[in-house]
Amino acid sequence: MLVCTAVWKIFGPAPEKAYAAIAAEAATGKLAYPDHVIAVRDVSFEVRKGETFVVMGLSGSGKSTLVRCLTRLTEPTAGEILIEGQDVRRMNDEALRNLRRHKVSMVFQNFGLLPHWRVLDNVAYGLEVCGVDKRERHARAMQMIELVGLKGWEHKYPRQLSGGMQQRVGLARALAVNPDILLFDEPFSALDPLIRREMQDELLRLQSTLHKTSVFITHDFAEALKIGDRIAIMKDGRFVQVGAPQELVLQPKDDYVRAFVKDAPRAKVLTAGAIMQRSPSGSAPNGRTVAADVHLEALLPMLAESDVPLTVVRDGAPVGIVDRACVIRALIDEQAN
Amino acid sequence: MAAPSPTLTRPIASAGLARAARWLGPIGLLAGVYIACLLFPSLTDTFPAQWNLGMREAVDDFSRWVTSNRLSHPAFAYFFDPLSAALDAFVRAVENALLGAHWAVIIGVTALAGWLLGGWRLALVGALGFFACGLMGLWPQTMQTLALMNVSVFIALLIGIPLGVVCALSNRFDRFLRPILDAMQVMPAFVYLIPVVLFFGVARAPAIVATVIYAIPPAVRLTNLGIREVQPAAVEAARAFGSTRWQILRKVQLPLALPAIMAGVNQTIMMALGIVVIAAMVGAGGLGREVYLALQRLQVGRAFEAGLAIVLIAIILDRLSEGLSRIDLTQYSIRKTQDAGRKAQNVKRNPASYVLRHSSLIGALAIILVTALCVLAFQDAFPDAWRLPLREPVDGLVRWMRDNLFFITRPLSDFITLYLLNPFRDLLRDVIPWPVVIAAVAVVAYLVSGWRLALGCALGMFMLGLLGMWPQSMDTLSQVLVTTAITVLLALPVGILASQSDGVRRALRPVLDFLQTVPTFVFLVPVVMLFNIGRVPGIIASVLYAIPVGIRLVDLGIRQVSPEAVEAATAFGSTRAQTIVKVQLPLAKPAIVLSINQMIMMVLAMVVIAGMVGGAGLGLEAVIGLTRSETGIGISAGLCIVVLAMILDRITQAWAARQS
Repeated sequence: MLVCTAVWKIFGPAPEKAYAAIAAEAATGKLAYPDHVIAVRDVSFEVRKGETFVVMGLSGSGKSTLVRCLTRLTEPTAGEILIEGQDVRRMNDEALRNLRRHKVSMVFQNFGLLPHWRVLDNVAYGLEVCGVDKRERHARAMQMIELVGLKGWEHKYPRQLSGGMQQRVGLARALAVNPDILLFDEPFSALDPLIRREMQDELLRLQSTLHKTSVFITHDFAEALKIGDRIAIMKDGRFVQVGAPQELVLQPKDDYVRAFVKDAPRAKVLTAGAIMQRSPSGSAPNGRTVAADVHLEALLPMLAESDVPLTVVRDGAPVGIVDRACVIRALIDEQAN
Repeated sequence: MAAPSPTLTRPIASAGLARAARWLGPIGLLAGVYIACLLFPSLTDTFPAQWNLGMREAVDDFSRWVTSNRLSHPAFAYFFDPLSAALDAFVRAVENALLGAHWAVIIGVTALAGWLLGGWRLALVGALGFFACGLMGLWPQTMQTLALMNVSVFIALLIGIPLGVVCALSNRFDRFLRPILDAMQVMPAFVYLIPVVLFFGVARAPAIVATVIYAIPPAVRLTNLGIREVQPAAVEAARAFGSTRWQILRKVQLPLALPAIMAGVNQTIMMALGIVVIAAMVGAGGLGREVYLALQRLQVGRAFEAGLAIVLIAIILDRLSEGLSRIDLTQYSIRKTQDAGRKAQNVKRNPASYVLRHSSLIGALAIILVTALCVLAFQDAFPDAWRLPLREPVDGLVRWMRDNLFFITRPLSDFITLYLLNPFRDLLRDVIPWPVVIAAVAVVAYLVSGWRLALGCALGMFMLGLLGMWPQSMDTLSQVLVTTAITVLLALPVGILASQSDGVRRALRPVLDFLQTVPTFVFLVPVVMLFNIGRVPGIIASVLYAIPVGIRLVDLGIRQVSPEAVEAATAFGSTRAQTIVKVQLPLAKPAIVLSINQMIMMVLAMVVIAGMVGGAGLGLEAVIGLTRSETGIGISAGLCIVVLAMILDRITQAWAARQS
């Protein structure tokens, strides 16, 4: 669906030359050109259809630049970006515009709404630039407004809305053109913690029916764990580790990742299948079972009621057992040992 | 006492040495240049005439060629003459419309615009302002000036706003246009009046062209700025949804930049009004002509009345266009929806709320009704019987001042001339050899910035000589520096005082407003009557012109010092004076230096006007060039003023940049 190979972005007066110099030095990382900053450094990844791919990094790690490179809002310096097999970097202006109009939509950190337009017109913006006529685009926009729960607010102006509601408008606007891919650039970072959680739930609810292929940028590890099917940890322009949430939590690649994992809500991330003891004998003595993809959160009360281990089953077949000890072990931070 | 440890003294000594070395180089250079001058006195006593570029002759040849080919050459037959005729016809049409309309209609329309844009106060200001112009017997002149204003501003916006848009979209074009705009603003209007007259003849057309040239820069700059400052998030979002450049411009950037563009309209109007008197010198009629004639005949009262009328128009147009710039689309629409909401709630209609809700409509109807009654009751022309004579009392006052204040004005004038102007001018012009003056300017530039600026300034100074204007330039330079010094000495304490006390600030405000809007020529008249012809009235007029901006910038600079710093100083028990001297002034230094830069530039803008009342130097040459059609002299003098302005501007800008 979306494949990036060795994408680079270098800011500065002569990025091409700087890139060539780095390539010549076989990516030792030292930048010979002093006025240049490497924002994105040799990043490759693939997002599968329907998957939510989260890029998590602290400010200045290059994550926002990376997401802008995908539709060339920021021109990448090197690398290949394929969207549905088409090379984005080879597209001419027209093709690129069509990509942005029909295939890929974006939700912004600061909402990027047009303050002089009503909510309805804002949501219809993407349709308007494509030349969809007024009645049709307003009808479609109204559907989207209902979808994000803003019915009754369509004639208000952005300034009259709270931050969370403004971002719902941003979301509705992105969905209105029915894109194949959604890009989220820290969409909830500007919101209060409670509203942020509400918006995350809202997004998960929408995704459970829409299944849009998404790239989601965030600086919040908990948010990454909650939303992402897979997560890339980004630092200084490159991916440190890419993997599913529980892979990161159980096997952090280095201290940098471990520092994030330390405070992760392990009970919400880890599943029975990830912490079980593989049991050659098959099932545990009494007949109680639990599915492999159940989170510890749900497993804990079950174990609290049961003195004996539970059998973990995947696709109906027993694959191992969990008992209280292995849950406790999994919940203890490895660092603490 | 232990001897100071050597490790401590050495760095200090070497720092001292470095500081000495920093001064030693420049001093050595100056001394060297001076000795060289002593060795070649014939070359350095006066700027060698044989080095003259001969630009004056070339320009004169060209202007003679233009005069003799006016009728035959296609450039005139097919471009300048038709353009000139079209402009003339345009202004005449507007003029006739304004003069033909009933006076009450003009006042009514102004009041209506004021009512819709700002409420009853603005409506009253508009109506009373024009009424006062009528009372002073200046109705036709006021309408003529208004016509000239409307047409010039219209054309300036027609050109300026699109240029601003292009500047905002293309950095390259912006970089290309910026120095041109700078030059347009620094160049005295007189300088381009000369070629404009050459190409467009005399009367309305050249006045329009000159006004347009003068008024375009703010329209371009503010449009450019407004578009560039549109929230990048909105633009990026529009881009991300695949908008074309044109769609982004039309749907996002222009609507959101509207307040800034309207502020540009306001600035354009004010600039255009600032040049009405100068436009009168090439044959535009109206209030400017009144001031100009009164100035020539030293009729203070007459100049005062016309000047006051210009100020009134300035105030009216300023406030009206300011009302325009308050139209913020994002705000306006919110009010509209809120009104709609209120309306929906107010199902039960009581008469009071009805009046309130429809107040804008009712007010407008009232204004229209009064206007209609006036139209029925009075004749078309403003009634002669209604007269409020201001000129007689003003004349009387000035006569009294002339006869009774000479014990102040004479010594003041003599002091400035004998002890400030003459010695300084002689020093620059006659005593110090020209290469040493150039070297000195270069050294100053080097000290505030670096060798690049030094080289540029030296070349600029050399240019003054090459243009054959060295003595005049030094005369003007001495006047500008003395005037600036006086202005700064007056503006600093007043500005500091204003920054400390809101009362002083409030009291100063109307005075400063008046000084800033009154056409510069208007204060020339009483000043000339009090101080006689010469360099002093020009200096005093320049001080009056530059001081309001100086005071305002000093006040603003000090007030913008972070309140935390001031609070901290107070918390540690500083007295007011200590807070000012130790905290506010040092922190405000960049702003104060910048205000000095502005004062110098304003003084320079007055050079030509000072030249009209005997200011000598470059100003006088420029006036001669314009009034006697000595195109070559005029253009050379104008170029010299621009060069001087650029040198002084860059040096003070660099000085200001060093502060922060």
